[in-house]
Formats: sequence, C-alpha cells, structure tokens
Amino acid sequence: MTSAVPPRATADEFQRLCDFLYRRTGLSFTPARRYYVDRRLAARMEATGAATFPDYFARLRADAGGEVEHLVNSLTVNETYFFREDHQLRCLTSSILPGAVARRVPSEPVRIWSVPCSTGEEPYSIAIWLLENWPPIDDVDVEIVGSDIDTLALAAARDGIYGRRSLSRLPPALVTKYFDQSGDESWRIIDGLRESVLFTEANLIDPATVGAQGRFDVIFCRNVLIYFDDMSRRVAAENLYDALVPGGYICLGHAESMSRISPLFEVRRHEEAIVYQRPEGDAHD
Amino acid sequence: MPLTRRDGSSPIPPADPTPTSRPDPSSPDPEARRAATRLLPPNPESAGPLGRMLAHERDGSVREAILTALARIGGDAAVAALLPHLRSDDAALRSAALTTLQGLPATLAQLPALLADEDPDIRVLAAEIARAMPAGEAAALLCGMIAREREPNPCAAAVEVLAEIGGPDCLPVLEACAGRFASEPFLGFAIRAASARISGGRAPATR
Repeated sequence: MTSAVPPRATADEFQRLCDFLYRRTGLSFTPARRYYVDRRLAARMEATGAATFPDYFARLRADAGGEVEHLVNSLTVNETYFFREDHQLRCLTSSILPGAVARRVPSEPVRIWSVPCSTGEEPYSIAIWLLENWPPIDDVDVEIVGSDIDTLALAAARDGIYGRRSLSRLPPALVTKYFDQSGDESWRIIDGLRESVLFTEANLIDPATVGAQGRFDVIFCRNVLIYFDDMSRRVAAENLYDALVPGGYICLGHAESMSRISPLFEVRRHEEAIVYQRPEGDAHD
Repeated sequence: MPLTRRDGSSPIPPADPTPTSRPDPSSPDPEARRAATRLLPPNPESAGPLGRMLAHERDGSVREAILTALARIGGDAAVAALLPHLRSDDAALRSAALTTLQGLPATLAQLPALLADEDPDIRVLAAEIARAMPAGEAAALLCGMIAREREPNPCAAAVEVLAEIGGPDCLPVLEACAGRFASEPFLGFAIRAASARISGGRAPATR
C-alpha cells in the first residue's frame, strides 16, 4: 500500500507559496524556515485532499473553504498569555507614552485600548507593565479599556481567572503581587486591578460600536487583522483611524503590517518595535 | 491603584465628529468630508458622486474613506467610478484605484478591454489587476494579451503575474514570447523564472 502523504513541494513551488503568503498576509518565510513551512503545508495538503502542490495552491489562491486562514493559523502561534510580545510593552513605556502624555489635555487621562482583548490577558498585562515599569503612572491618569466581540470571552476577562500556562511568562513576584490563588491551578487578578480595567463589547468592523469607545492615545490590535478578508481589513483600518487621537499609535502583531492594509497611518520604527501612527497634522476637531 | 476607570457618572466621550466638524462633503475641513463620506449608505447611486469626489480630493484620509466606500458599494457602478482614475496623473491615486479594483469581482468583466487598451501603461496596470481575479480566467486573458503584445513592459507585467497564477498551459505562450522579444534579456530572465515557478522546476527551462 502506498503512502497518502503528499509529495514535498519543490524549491520553486516553495518560493511561489512564500511569495503569495508575503503579498497576501505579510508573513515572510525564508528558505531557512523551509522545514517549518513544509510540515504545515503537508498537513494542510493532507487535510484538504490535495494530491499535488499545484492542486493545493489553486485551492489556497481561491481561498476555498477559508484555506488562507487555515494555513495562516497553522503557521502562526495562536495563544494568548500575559506579557506576550513584551517588546511592544517596552516600546509603549519608552517611546509611545512620553509623546502621548505631552499631547494630552492635562485634565484628561491617557487612554489605551486593547481590541480584541479575548479573555483579558493583554489589557491586564498593559496595566501590570505600567504599574511596574512606568514611574509617571503615579502622576498621570491612565484609562485601559479591553473590548471584544465575544461576550463569553469578555465575561472571562471580567472574572480574571487564569491557569498556569497563561501566567508562564510572568515573574513569580508579579504573580504574587497581582494575583490571588483561587484553586490548585488557577489564579485570580486582585480586585483592585480587575476594577481598574473596563471591558466593553465592540466589533472592529462596526463603526458605531468602535465609535462608542471614544478616542484613544494607543491601540493594541494584535493578531486579528491578519484573519480578516480584504474588505473587512479596510473597514477595520478606517474605524481604528477614527478611534485614535491625531498622533495616536496603533500596535499590531509581529506578523502584521498596517502598510499592507491602509495608507492612513505612518510607520514609526522604534528600537523595540514597529508601530503605526495616525498623522499628527490631521487634527481637525 | 493609579489607573482610572470610567463609570456611569463619567461616560466615555464618543469619537463622533464634534459640532465644529459636522459631516459635509463640501466642507473645507477634511474631517467633515471624511465623516460625510463614511456616513453615505453603500448604494450604487452613490458611486458616481464618490468617483467625482475622488478626482479632486487631496486629503489622504478622505481619499481612503472614498475608496473604502466604493469598495463597499462594489459591482459595476463602483468599477465604473474607479476606472477613470487608472489614467490619473497622480501616481498615488492610480495605485489606490488599482488596489480597490482588485478587490471588486465586477472588475473581471472590464479586464479584456483594459488588457487591450491603446495605452501600454494601462495594460501594465491591467495585468496587475488580473492577479486578483479568478486564476483560470485571468491566466487565459493574460496569455491572450502576451500573444498579441508588441511592447515588452506589458509582457513583463503579465509574466510576473503568471508566475503566481499561471498553469502549465501558459508555458507555450511564455516560450513564444521569449522568442519574440529575444533582444530584451530582462524579459527572457522573467520568463525563465515564471516558467520554473509554474512547472515547479520540473519542466525544461525556456531559452
């Protein structure tokens, strides 16, 4: 009996796939990551019943059955945990917030939005990071809002109970300081911190629910636009632009690029991260 | 805890335009024009006026709102509103119109005419539009264009797109093109690269 495992893509086919993925999603894979891609490609070819690379590539290009999302899912890490991509948190305190504080109306807080916030790890991470790493927090009001379309995820975020895996990147001292053990393998965010983050329902492609959140100085919108279709990405970018104050920043996931989605934002390359800024000059209100 | 959270007594101020920038498509304030554009219902009747606004709009954020509105309207009306901008003297507008047309399935019906346009620059842009169309139809149209094309640049644009969307039935057309433009080494190189991609490196290289 012969094996049903699809044949390995040739070097030219691999390059064709990489070109497509880069153009479509911004994900970049060099030949050095050939093995990583090959394994996931073989799994997707098997899952879709594609006997050859051309068969699979035609399916991918047509996005039959949402195949682009399936492949991208297999090529990216899809889990959330505290202090994920903490280089952006370092960028927040070292490069972004000083400008935001200088721009703000003194009586107004600096507003930070985590969208989608899923079960709350990101907005709570931002809060802990600021409390631990940003001395001006003692003098500057900061308002953190976490939003998601998934009301079950929002309920979990408000509960603030997490397992060991979610906390794996937090130093033990921070777990002790900001969590109460609530079970053998679960920890709950302390009341004071839970009560300082507002959770709201919002759909990134709905201007009304996005507009209802007000304007923000910084938006974290990580690892979601990559899964939208072109039209939804475009509408989401418009909504995010309107949700930022002029000069405000947006942080995307490491595999995402706003430049591929919309020309509305300016690229800002900081030492810790690449972020995108609504131009300062278009303040009209 | 030095973090603040709003409650019922201090509601979130909405991000809607303030009274000083009321939505108005003819306002000198770009934010008011942008707001007016974003409030337009996505009806085909809006496509013509949006296309005319696009020709005169210089603010990037308003221009993007117009293009997104046209993309939401979609269909023949949006395509008709966008096509004239492929001939704009403004490179950014040409590029933006192209990207938006790529996202509209109705553009496919216009592709044969665009690939046969008398302006070679339009044929180059049309090849790029074909990249986003259904592969089988687009590849056949690009092969037809290459077969009759007299200029090397539109051929090169089509070859580059075929490297992604083409199938084995495109290889003879590419080989013939390489022969016709033997004095254009860059085109021969592009055709060899495209042929290798299409065949997965399994077919003999085109000369």
